[in-house]
Amino acid sequence: MSPRLLALIPSAVALNLAIGFVVNQLGLPLYLDTVGTVIASALAGPVAGAITGIVSQTVRSLYEGFIWFPFAAVQVLIALLAGFAALRGGFRSVPRSLAWGLVVGALAGALSAVISWFVFKGVTATGVTAVTILLTRLGLTTPQAVTVSSLGTDLLDKTIVFLLAGAVLRALPERVLGRYPWARRALAR
Amino acid sequence: MTPRAGLAARAHPFTLFVVVAGAAALAFIVPAPAGPLALYALTAVLALITGNAGAVARAALVCLPLWVLLALLHGVGGSFDPRSLTVSREGLAAAAAQGARLGAVATASLVLFAAFDPSRFLDAVAERGWSFHAAYLVVATLQAAPRFRRRAAAILEAQRARGLRTGRGVAGRVRALVPLTAPLVLGMLTEADDRAMALEMRGLGARVARTPLAPPPRRAGDRIARWAIGALVVAGIAWRLLA
Amino acid sequence: MNDAAPALVFDGVTLRYSAAHTPALADISLTIRSGEVTWLYGALGAGCTSLLLAAAGLAPGHTGGELSGSVRALGIDPHDPRGRAGLVGRIGFVTAVPASQLSGVAATVREEVAFAPANLGWPVGRIEAAAAAALERFGLTRLAERDPAHLSGGELQRVIVASMLALGPALWLLDEPASALDRAGRESLRSLLAAEAGRGAAVVIASEDADTMLGVADRIVVLDGGRVALDGPPASVLAGPAVWQHAGGSTAIAALARSAAGLAEPVPAALLPPYPLTADEGVARWS
Repeated sequence: MSPRLLALIPSAVALNLAIGFVVNQLGLPLYLDTVGTVIASALAGPVAGAITGIVSQTVRSLYEGFIWFPFAAVQVLIALLAGFAALRGGFRSVPRSLAWGLVVGALAGALSAVISWFVFKGVTATGVTAVTILLTRLGLTTPQAVTVSSLGTDLLDKTIVFLLAGAVLRALPERVLGRYPWARRALAR
Repeated sequence: MTPRAGLAARAHPFTLFVVVAGAAALAFIVPAPAGPLALYALTAVLALITGNAGAVARAALVCLPLWVLLALLHGVGGSFDPRSLTVSREGLAAAAAQGARLGAVATASLVLFAAFDPSRFLDAVAERGWSFHAAYLVVATLQAAPRFRRRAAAILEAQRARGLRTGRGVAGRVRALVPLTAPLVLGMLTEADDRAMALEMRGLGARVARTPLAPPPRRAGDRIARWAIGALVVAGIAWRLLA
Repeated sequence: MNDAAPALVFDGVTLRYSAAHTPALADISLTIRSGEVTWLYGALGAGCTSLLLAAAGLAPGHTGGELSGSVRALGIDPHDPRGRAGLVGRIGFVTAVPASQLSGVAATVREEVAFAPANLGWPVGRIEAAAAAALERFGLTRLAERDPAHLSGGELQRVIVASMLALGPALWLLDEPASALDRAGRESLRSLLAAEAGRGAAVVIASEDADTMLGVADRIVVLDGGRVALDGPPASVLAGPAVWQHAGGSTAIAALARSAAGLAEPVPAALLPPYPLTADEGVARWS
């Protein structure tokens, strides 16, 4: 691995964790813990993003217990899709970020639902599980409720992540972007 | 770094990772609900004996909301009408089994974190000739995380002092994220540039095996523990497949 | 040592960053010899940092942009990937912000200083001896077991220099290494640079701090707009009027003499260039 990635990835992971902290401070019902992963993918390619995702989940597991480690698969999926979005100029404008955020949110939500059901018997982060329980009370079966709540949360969360990542990338000075060849395509300037 | 006491801290770092992986594997192998419950009890007792009461308590705290949600999700049926609520014995058993799995894994991993010494871990990886870069990423992140958190808090304060409104509705708070995140990312990239150059000049990309400075001793006890856990997992799988 | 092979040779080097309109370095030709302290001096944006980055092979590789002309550091092209490998550990590279140069994984100052030699696969005994000597040399032994994250800016800057010193580099490239140092720290840096040059290393240091550099630098190279504007012994270059046009600064005493000359009309002979550079020279001239 190049020293550039060795320097960038820990910062991107720390960004994931720090944004989680800011979201908490602002009292938002979101995670946004993949902003660093998406930005790493858009700047340095999907492999950098995927490693960021795996390290994020490893470090969170060290802090909070390895129970959530299987969700590293979702981080990797998001990184790969964000890399693909970058190739297609997915961060060039607000509508593009929005569209890619919805696509990634749908796929990530589907994968989360599968992991949540098979590994965790339906529980994920507390807020999502509360929605799942609410849906079972409305008459959905538990697998249906898990799918709907995971999809709903991830659609909202990943859309905001992509909008936020796009806004931040577009705000970066040319001097900084010039160092990351992937960023040029992501913003297609 | 304060010196850490206790069996877990003296153990080879890889032994602790094997314990966590073993606990996670066994949690899903042993028959529910008695198996996971017994495993959780065993993990907690072992943690208490080795002086890790804090990790046991913290794991319980992490798992508590999940236990409640599992019980509600699987154990309690019916609609919103309180009269329609039914309690399912099977459902509660399934919830207890899953809750115990989470408890066992959380306890084992928080013991690991309490005993985790980054320098020993790096030296252990270097001594084995495994990917030092992968180990570097994890340890560098553990060092960077508190720094970024402090910086995020400082930026939040500074932007609020400059009149950024962070309190109005969900949409307003989401919009407020951009002026909070942009300086954080710009700072992160500038720092990453400098660090990348420094790491390169300090030979992190060099194609030679890194010297372990003070690798943890390889004790027979560690080796026996790792093999025993591995054998237990294999035996468990074989038993479940044959039974 | 002046007859030794040159440590650093720039031949017609031009460096352009991708987002910039003007080149950061414009047709620089320069030869730096081993055993000498060469002081790079210039206003912000004059090209001092870029010259150091290009010498280490880090620009344009890390910064983006294009480089033309030829650079040879210790006889090796630092921009050639194969050449670079042979240079790792032989260049002592220090930038102005110490915190972002930390390894990011060391729990103690001793581990921080041992980080680079360990990466290069040195035997443990040699690493320990080199780290202990570097810490001792820079007065850091009492901080050896401290966490680098809890050091002050000045302490951190000394740790960074010590972590390069442990490698025993043949070429030092330092960018404002004294920016966070106190008076005592600057004094130990001066004696370190002199000792390193005496050992036969080539020392190239970009610094705005004329009062620290004077007396230790053998040569000053003044950069202006990415070009070499002046080049010579510091005493003659700094005492003349030309340095004011190109770099807009000099020692505190010279600045005093110059502003006094600007105030007086007609200018008394005592305030005309060459300006005094040190307090002692000022006292000798004006008393």
